[in-house]
Amino acid sequence: MPVQAPIAITGLGALCGAGLTLSECMESMFRGERHPHPPIRFATDHPVSYLVLELRDGFKLPLDESEDVYSRTCQLALAAALEALADAGWNAETLRGKRVGVAVGTTVGCALNCDDFYRDYKGESEPDLGIMQRFLRSNPAAVIARQLQLDGPVQTVVNACSSGTDAIGIGASWLRTGACDIVIAGGADELLRVTYAGFSSLMITDTEPCRPFDISRKGLNLGEGAGILVLESDNVRRDKKAQGYLLGYGSACDAYHLTAPHPDGVGLKLAMHEAFTAAQVAPADITFVNTHGTGTPDNDRVEGRVLSEVLPGVPFLSTKGYTGHTLGAAGGLEAAFTVASLQRGEISSSIGFANPDPAVISTPVTQNTRIDGKIALSESLAFGGNNAVLILGKGDH
Amino acid sequence: MRIGIQGIGLTGGFGSSVDSLHAALCSGTVVTQQGRVEHNGLIDTFPAYQASLDGLDEFIPKRALRRIDHCSRMTLFAAHLALKDAGMAEADRSRLGVIIASGYGPLKTTFDFLDSYLDFGYACSSPTHFSNSVHNAAAAHVSMQLKTTAPSLTVTQFEMSVPSALLTARQWLTEGRVDQVLFGAVDEQCDVLRYCRQQFFGDGEQGPLQPFAFDTQSAVVGEGAVFFLLTRDETAIYGHIDEVKLGNHAVSPIKISQDESLIIGADGHKECGQWYAQVAKKHATSAYTPLYGSFPAAAGFDLAVAALSMRENRLFVSPELTGAMPLTPTEPHPLDDAKLASLKFGKSGEYGLIRMSR
Repeated sequence: MPVQAPIAITGLGALCGAGLTLSECMESMFRGERHPHPPIRFATDHPVSYLVLELRDGFKLPLDESEDVYSRTCQLALAAALEALADAGWNAETLRGKRVGVAVGTTVGCALNCDDFYRDYKGESEPDLGIMQRFLRSNPAAVIARQLQLDGPVQTVVNACSSGTDAIGIGASWLRTGACDIVIAGGADELLRVTYAGFSSLMITDTEPCRPFDISRKGLNLGEGAGILVLESDNVRRDKKAQGYLLGYGSACDAYHLTAPHPDGVGLKLAMHEAFTAAQVAPADITFVNTHGTGTPDNDRVEGRVLSEVLPGVPFLSTKGYTGHTLGAAGGLEAAFTVASLQRGEISSSIGFANPDPAVISTPVTQNTRIDGKIALSESLAFGGNNAVLILGKGDH
Repeated sequence: MRIGIQGIGLTGGFGSSVDSLHAALCSGTVVTQQGRVEHNGLIDTFPAYQASLDGLDEFIPKRALRRIDHCSRMTLFAAHLALKDAGMAEADRSRLGVIIASGYGPLKTTFDFLDSYLDFGYACSSPTHFSNSVHNAAAAHVSMQLKTTAPSLTVTQFEMSVPSALLTARQWLTEGRVDQVLFGAVDEQCDVLRYCRQQFFGDGEQGPLQPFAFDTQSAVVGEGAVFFLLTRDETAIYGHIDEVKLGNHAVSPIKISQDESLIIGADGHKECGQWYAQVAKKHATSAYTPLYGSFPAAAGFDLAVAALSMRENRLFVSPELTGAMPLTPTEPHPLDDAKLASLKFGKSGEYGLIRMSR
């Protein structure tokens, strides 16, 4: 397992059901607010209504022209990227001539989940080919690169729910090997009827607000959003202060089941081990863990057990109660939240948790909690058995 | 760091082995099959390059394939063939990373899942189709079948999927995250894709595929899977990957030296043709898409042709060139120490350039 040099994080952007900017998200989470509701953006004939966390009204498209040009996933990715770039002191003009890479994780952003088109295709009506043309224009990483006229590596990662975390780890590796000097990295996903139907078919969604790690947990609430980080090499950043540092990244596959994590967390432990080695930090250095914490029985049991074994006593939380499970965006959002929490010296309560589950072994924080350390861990588990871990360090502010 | 190609496995319109691709390259011809789609009571027939799965049961029992879809079956077949070709069928796989590029992912299963709720209501949505429609399902099946817990990655980026994913394969080996990477590309045909292509391109989908007629739409749909076993070794059966470069030609023009021969991914799509035309005016180029068709993962087959060229130390003749061509491909010649690169363009000028050497 190789050692990885730290990478500076100079900008953060986030939007989701908790807020339309990173600061809005952080403030609402620390106020303990959450707003799950039945889906508004689409309807189904499903006899049961599961709760979701959609973006609240007021989300402004980042580009007026993008309304009919790009998918909602791409609009979310662009919005978070523009916030993160502004936070880092960049814009399209100042990026010109720089070697800038884009790595974005998504789940639905690359899938032909065009059920309106397909319904017409199956029926008597002529399907609207504009839907298909929009899909063909809407590769999230490529859209960011195209809109900002960037020249550099571009990658859209589709590792299911660890996509955003993997995209950040991959983007950082581009900087280390000199493939580019700046990377826009994170994840984005919109809420769709297709994923709503899919997750409910797996019987892992909840009709009530989700309860990560609680003994009564029934499943997840789907969400939508985007979380983007700007990463910079030292020769570009120079004296600019970092918001945080990416110290290490690890990933591994359970090679066990398509949708369930390995009961012993084999892949998660391997991913943690790689990230610790890469960052040259010990488990004792970790101040807190931002878990995947979806609120599904299997995920939380495995994560809790692994945490009790690898990081016993380290405070942890799930932010899924505030954001919903945003799939490919989750890793990007939670990396941004983790860096912002290190800056703030405080983590929010793990909303939804009330009663411990002996099978989980560990319990998350139940109130906003002060933290003194400088290093935290954010982890994602995914369909396909993917596990991805980021070790993040406090910035210079 | 140079990355060695130690094994190749593939299935496409030309057959299901390195030998069958080699035979197609030598003959310069692959006969297309006839695709057939029934939609709204009308029968649509069209030329197509279809992949065979004959021989898959050498690696995986039929019973184990029951819930595995066509896209993942092609993936598993090519992945096993690559390991066998590299002599790694029984080797330690604890540090074998898996990376897959796919332009569209598992299309048929995606629509099968939509069928489940559009036909029978949302309460009848199929969990099996849903879990197999996730784009990393094929990579997951490979990791599970091979029992490798090393990192796994899937990239979906239309035409740029292959070079982008290969960049990460190279990164993983360079950084020492893994000791080998099983790198592959896969795309499948489906009825809805055919419908869309027919609507968009009409007779431009009837072939024959003319990669050098850059301003003519002459695509022929294809499908298939191709895998490579990549290592850091200095000795390599199929040559080395020296560099993977991604960028946008419209923003910053691509730099290619005069002594580089190019295998271009021109596949009869007019909207990408202008970019190839600019490059082909100045450089020696070859194209082999008439042997496997037009689909995003075909860039992986271009890479396989480049690898075979390295192994044989010669550039193969560009196949089945018909019709008026504003530019002619380079004549076949020994490669010796000449540089070879595979070049793929997207619609907006984005490119992936894979530089290779023996």
